[in-house]
Amino acid sequence: MRILVILRRVLDPAGIVAHRRLRRLFINREVYIIQPADECALEAALRIKDAAEAEVVVASGQPEPDDDTLRRGIAMGADRGIYVSGEAFENADEAVVARALEAVIERLGGVDLVLSGATTLDTGQSQLGLRLAEALGWPQIVGAWQLEVAGGEVRAVCRDSEQYIRVEADLPAVVSMASGALKPRYPDGVRLINIYRDEGEVAEALQLWEVDELLTPEELSPVVETLGRDFPPERERGERVEGPSEEAAQVVAEALRQRMRG
Amino acid sequence: MDFTFSPEHKALRRMIREFAEREIAPIAAELDREHRVPMGIMRKLGEIGLLGVCFPQSYGGMGAGEMGYCILMEELGRVCTSTATNVGAHIGIGAMAIHLDGSEEQRRKYLVPLARGEKFAAFGLTESNAGSDAANISTRAVRDGNEWIINGGKIYITNGGYADVITIMAVTDPTLGARGGITAFIVETDWPGFEVAREEDKMGIRGTSTAELVFDDLRVPHENVLGKVGEGFITFMKSLDMGRLTLGAACLGGAQGALDWSIQWAKTREQFGAQLAQKQSIQWKIADIATEVEALRSLVYRVAWMVDADQPFTRLAAMCKLYGSEVASRAIDMALQIHGGLGYSRDYPVERAFRDARIAEIFEGTNEIQRIVIASRLFREHGVRIGP
Repeated sequence: MRILVILRRVLDPAGIVAHRRLRRLFINREVYIIQPADECALEAALRIKDAAEAEVVVASGQPEPDDDTLRRGIAMGADRGIYVSGEAFENADEAVVARALEAVIERLGGVDLVLSGATTLDTGQSQLGLRLAEALGWPQIVGAWQLEVAGGEVRAVCRDSEQYIRVEADLPAVVSMASGALKPRYPDGVRLINIYRDEGEVAEALQLWEVDELLTPEELSPVVETLGRDFPPERERGERVEGPSEEAAQVVAEALRQRMRG
Repeated sequence: MDFTFSPEHKALRRMIREFAEREIAPIAAELDREHRVPMGIMRKLGEIGLLGVCFPQSYGGMGAGEMGYCILMEELGRVCTSTATNVGAHIGIGAMAIHLDGSEEQRRKYLVPLARGEKFAAFGLTESNAGSDAANISTRAVRDGNEWIINGGKIYITNGGYADVITIMAVTDPTLGARGGITAFIVETDWPGFEVAREEDKMGIRGTSTAELVFDDLRVPHENVLGKVGEGFITFMKSLDMGRLTLGAACLGGAQGALDWSIQWAKTREQFGAQLAQKQSIQWKIADIATEVEALRSLVYRVAWMVDADQPFTRLAAMCKLYGSEVASRAIDMALQIHGGLGYSRDYPVERAFRDARIAEIFEGTNEIQRIVIASRLFREHGVRIGP
């Protein structure tokens, strides 16, 4: 079976400071990491590959392919990677990315399972899987915490606010993994060095596809228009409640009640 | 001149930092408190290929060069001096001697499992009467047909308590001394006649094993002579050159860690109504640490580059060790002062780092010996030979 995993990148939160009062983002180190939920998706794919025969393909859509995102995916154990690049990705929304993925799947000659993270860390986007599944007419599972594939089916454990729920879907399917669902493995050192040198068993594992060759200009136009970016309001400072715990608890409960009413 | 790290080395550093911060940093205090070697960490480092970082891929290594090895040691040294020491003894001197002077068969048999982290190595040089005066060893190897019988012992052997393979130096011809009379051997620690006599109880690097070893009619096959008979001292000195560079890299990490903690504390702590960061007395300390850390970083990675470019580096490796250990000690001493009472408390890592740092001025050749190495190399260029 073939599994396609979407790897998006995000600025490393450890390298930036969001100054809410000045409404400015200070980028101290411009270092990117893989979206944590996408990295969980890759881990899920690699576990399926560990248990049974599977080819794991990682894909990333970027204006200019970076050095690291897909190389890290391959170092972790993916078989090959496809950078889809082109200026269109400068302001692509999830609709454009979903269309590009649909074209990638067609050019790959079909896949059995598409995996991605359920939401992105920076902008909280969560429509990619939905849009892709809709376009392909495939079932979709959203926010999986556990995943396994058996007998032409994908089985997942998801959770809503109160409970875990078991869901199943026929393959081919689109599944998004919850962030933090699985602990992603560390890259393998030898694969890591070789993928940067394009040597050994991972030589030529990376491919570059031009998005212009996959989609028409109409398909590349986003449906969402970004009017501007702003910061969430500054958080109010908390209040400290002193005194014996029972009395303090009553004060806290009353304050919460007031807030809910207000 | 290009001082940027390659994309592969940047990616390697990121992977090591993630591993160090997630897996090692949270248990570093516990290792120190419980005097415990992190065997689980050592195995995991092996699984992802890091214990073979500098060895060729054809011998089970990663092939990331001395540059990659120094990155590993810097990142480990930044979070846990004990782990850096275990790894340094395994790769940098234990396995390194086999990499440098081992035969093809010896590399296949020993270097491959060591590079993959399936087995662990140590390096047996020091004896009770041969510390700085390393050539004054008395462990004796006598040939018996196709075997050598070794009697004697070693002290202060890092990884000695758990290593599977130890390279040791023994006298094979007492009439010849260091040049010609000393031979290196590869010893498997489960052979009869090999015994771990005791573990040291140390001031710092308490997450390491420092053992006294005894050899009692230890029989070693002739095929386990490392390099040529009589040339063991040269093999060992070459290994130590490598070890000194990477010890400098571990010290760089220790100093960087002290700097990171100091900046963090200066941001957080308020006195007289302002952050410590606003106090000039603190700013100057931080500026001094940062400057020394950058000077050390330039030295370490320049020498790593020289090793990878096959240039002679003995004098500079001694400088890495000498300067690195002193910068680390100064940086951690300043960090302790900046942290005040908290720095002196066992609740905080600065106290551990302070105890851990001190050994770097002593082991892998004391700093006094490094000065002799540096001076003798300098004077030799001017036609003056000086003895120890």
